[in-house]
Order: sequence, then structure tokens, then C-alpha cells
Amino acid sequence: MTVADQSVDERVWRSRPVGAALTHGQGLAGVLILLVIAVAGIAAPLLTHYGPNEQIEGANLLGASAQHWFGTDQVNRDVFARSLHGIRINLVIVLVAVPVGAIIGSLAGLVSSINSVADVIAQRIFDVILAFPLLILAITLVAITGPGVAPVIAVIVAAEIPLFGRLVRTTVLKVRELPFVESAEVIGAGRWWVLRKHVLPNAVEPLGVQIALSMSVAVFAESAMSFLGIGVRPPDPSLGSIVAGAIPNLDANPAYAIGPLVIVSALVLSFLLIAQGLGKAHRI
Amino acid sequence: MIRYIAGRLPSAVVVLFLASILIFSVMRLVPGDPALALAGPDATPEAIAAIRHSLGLDKSIPAQYLTWIGDVLILDLGRSFVLGGQISDLVLAGLGNTAVLAGSALLLAVVLSLVLSVAVVVWPKKWLTSVVNLLNTLSVALPNFVTGVLLVLVFAVLIPVLPSGGVPPGGYLARPDITFQYLLLPSLCLALPVAAALTRFLSEALRTEMAQQYVITARAAGVPRWNLVTRSALRNALPTMLTVLGIQTGHLLGGAVLVEAIFAWPGIGQLIEQGIGRRDYPVVQVLLLLSVTIFVLIQLLTDIVHAYLDPRIRIGGQQ
Repeated sequence: MTVADQSVDERVWRSRPVGAALTHGQGLAGVLILLVIAVAGIAAPLLTHYGPNEQIEGANLLGASAQHWFGTDQVNRDVFARSLHGIRINLVIVLVAVPVGAIIGSLAGLVSSINSVADVIAQRIFDVILAFPLLILAITLVAITGPGVAPVIAVIVAAEIPLFGRLVRTTVLKVRELPFVESAEVIGAGRWWVLRKHVLPNAVEPLGVQIALSMSVAVFAESAMSFLGIGVRPPDPSLGSIVAGAIPNLDANPAYAIGPLVIVSALVLSFLLIAQGLGKAHRI
Repeated sequence: MIRYIAGRLPSAVVVLFLASILIFSVMRLVPGDPALALAGPDATPEAIAAIRHSLGLDKSIPAQYLTWIGDVLILDLGRSFVLGGQISDLVLAGLGNTAVLAGSALLLAVVLSLVLSVAVVVWPKKWLTSVVNLLNTLSVALPNFVTGVLLVLVFAVLIPVLPSGGVPPGGYLARPDITFQYLLLPSLCLALPVAAALTRFLSEALRTEMAQQYVITARAAGVPRWNLVTRSALRNALPTMLTVLGIQTGHLLGGAVLVEAIFAWPGIGQLIEQGIGRRDYPVVQVLLLLSVTIFVLIQLLTDIVHAYLDPRIRIGGQQ
């Protein structure tokens, strides 16, 4: 390793606290957007007096108005109320599925960085999962289970496992090569002690970036699956299925599509901004 | 080079083999007995047994897998239970439509990203960089189906200048202008994320290249920036570009499912979606295997081309 390489490594590994990344610049913007949307979802009953499945007398495909912010749909439901409840389902799925996938994937990556037999098996499993484009994987899985919240979570978990597995494996192998870890091993540090004291703390930050990135993908995955009719089952509201319902009615009520589309994009963007903020933090 | 390919090939074959087993088992785990469904509610047990025998469902699962994969390998795909036609005809028609869509999307993405990244490097103006960065972030943050629906809303509903979906009625070659109108929105929708990823990597690669010593020397000797970008920097950025393009082409398949659903484009994605809806599992099984095979082959091809262009990869691969 040359001196130049070492200085690059130092820049990569010296960290700024995660907290600072989330209270400045892009990270802050992402957190704020996410908070606004999440609060709107949680406070849905306070923000609108219509239920997500309540049919309003005589309100068929109305355009946006002060009464109905996103107008109404083809069966007289308030699209704004449905979108707010769609946020809830979306965020619950994202916040359950990504951490579960991250934990399983990281453990698999950790095991495969230690044991060579496990490594071969894990790599083949990762390869097979990665051979399926996300939505094709989703369709394959839903063919057995039928649509629903659980299959959406299962698809996201399955898609995340190889990403986290590979990330943790390469991080662990890279950190183990670093001079200070090698020196610790030379003076007799045990394998587990090195893992706990040096390797894991260094893996936390790339993991943070990946979790934020995965959450943005998961927001998309849930809404895309529901859009295709293989996600959240109607009549439960999902941002994706609302958009699917809006397509034949674009000329009658454009807000029916635009409203939920803006929310989905803002959610994806917020997680991307957080990921960028965290990514910058661990490069400074 | 041959040694690199020989080393890379087995893992692709193993992945495809495992994926085919996975797809096959998934389709066997699907609830419902196809023989029962085909025979109808009043069928005698003998009739059901006969149908089961004619479909090969009375054989053991490994034997069924071997029969299926053997048929697939010689492209004897059989008939669709539900639609009645030859599966190979259905698949070929869908594959053709998806290929047209994906091909024009790729072309559009490559042209867009080349123009944008060369522009950013040749005229390093701050506003231009900001505009390109903004476009990039938006294309990444807006999922395919968001841009798709917005494009339909703006260009087919609010300002009705383009068709909202479907393939050109007289075929692709009959009227090129009509074909262009039908292709523009769906391929743009599919191209945007690819163009964004390409632009990000390409402009970064070009910038790195333009900071190299040989470029600075040539600049000092009076070689115009434009010549350096097009003759030297682009050539050196080519391997990066091809790798990103390969990865993105693979992901186009997933994106195509959504884009085809929005624009009523009768390709592979729509066939899979309809097949699931109608429980036409022999068709779905073949289409899933086809998608995975294309995806794996594109990845393989990308690696091989990259190794061909960049000798460091194939030497590293042999160690």
C-alpha cells in the first residue's frame, strides 16, 4: 500500500457523527421532507374528516378543491384521505422490511466473511436473487402467495439481503486489511474482539448509507407493486394503487394522479437526500 | 481473453440453473391444480387423471423439471392452457415489442447522456452543471411510473399531441412518423433513469480524464478542449460507460414491466402481468426464465466487453 492510498483510506474512514450529517444540508432537507410526510400520514384523521374508504354522496371524480384537495375518485372517495392513509401503509412496509432485510443480509455477510464454505453458499444465493430484476422477483413471489402486504415485505427483504450481504462482506474484508487491525491481530487480539472493536464500528457508516438507499428503493417497490395490482390489496389505500386507479380518469381529475405521485416522489427523494448526506459525512 | 471468458462462464450457467429450479418450484407451489382447472367442475376422476397424464403432472417433480427444461432448451414451449396458441408465438411477439421499446430507450439514453456530459465538460459553466445535476436528481428520484403517468397526463391528456399508449396500429415500419409518436413517451419514460445514471458516471469519468497530465499538456500546446474530449477523454471513459450501460440495460427489463403497464405496450412485461392474472402458469414460467436469462446474459456480456476493453480486469480475473 502506497502513501497515496493510505491518505485516501484515511479520508474514507475518518467519520463525522451521523447526527451532524442529518442536521446539515442535504441530510437535513431529506429529514425534513420525510418528517412532514410521515406526520401527515400519522395525523391523517386530524387533517381530513373523510375516511379512506368512505364514499361521499354525489362526489364522483370531482377536481381538486378546498373541500377535496386531490379531488375524488371514480367511486366517490376522497383521494387526499386515501393518499394520507397510503403513506401509513407505505412507511410501515418500508420501516419493517428494510431493517429486517438489512439484519438478515448483514448477518449472512458477516458469516460469509468468516467461513469459506458459508461464503460459497451465500454468494450463490446472492447471485440467484440478483439475477432477478426487482419487479420480476416480485411477480415470481406473488405468483405463490397472491397479492398482499406480507408478500411486498417479503420481496423487499429478499431483494435487500444480497445488497447488505455483499456490502458487509467487502467492508469486513477491507477493514481487516487495514494496518491498525493487522497490528491488533499481531499483538494477540482475538478474532471476535477485533470484529467487535474495529470491524463493526467501521461498517456502521456504509450500512447507514445503504439503509437509506434501500428505503428509497422500498418506497418505490411498494408503490410499483401496488400499481401493478400485486401489492396492497384493494380497498386498502396504497399510493401505487391510487395512481393505477387514476390513469383511466386523468382527463376528469388530474389531481387524482398528481397528488399521490408527488408524495411518492417526495418520499423517494427524502431517503435519497438522507443517503447522500450520510455518504458525504463519511467521506469528509 | 478466452481464459477470462472460460472463467466467467460457469458462474453464469450455475446462476441460470439455480434460477430455473427456483422458477420451476415456484410455479409448482402455486395453489390450484391445473389439471382440475382444465377439466372443469363436472369431470370424472378418470378424465382428470388423463389430463394430468397428458400434462406430465403424474411424474415425479425432478422428472417434470427435466422434461420442462429439456423442452425449453430445444425451444419447444408447448401450448398455452388459457390462450390456446403456441407459447413460442406469444413470447416472440412480446419479445419483439419489448426489444423495440428497450432499444429506442437505450438509444435515447445514450444520446441524451453523451450530449449532457460532453456539454458539461466542454463548457464548464456553473449554471449548466447545476441544471444537469438537478435533472439527474429528478430522474433518479422520480420512479418510472411517476414520470410515465406525468408524461401521459401532460402530452396526451392536457395537451393532446401524442397517443397515450399502445403500439402503432399498422406495424413499426408502415409509417415512421406515426411509429415515432407512439414510441416517444414510453421510451423517454424508460430512458430517463438510464440517462441519469449514464450522465453521472460519464461526466465524472470525463472530468477525471480532463484533469490528467497528458490533457493539461495538450491544452497548454493549444489543442482545443472539444478535440480532447471527443478524441481522448471519451475513448478512455468508454469502459465505464459500457459497464453502467450493461447494468442499466438489465434493469430496463424490470422497468419495462411498469412502463408497458402504463402505456398499454404489448411486450414481455404485459404478458407476464396478464399471465399471472389469468393463472396461465406455463407462459409465466417461460417468461420469467426468459427475463432472468436475458438479465444474466447482459451482465455476462458487460463483463466480457469490459475485460476486452480494459486489460487490467482480465489479468486480475486470472489470478
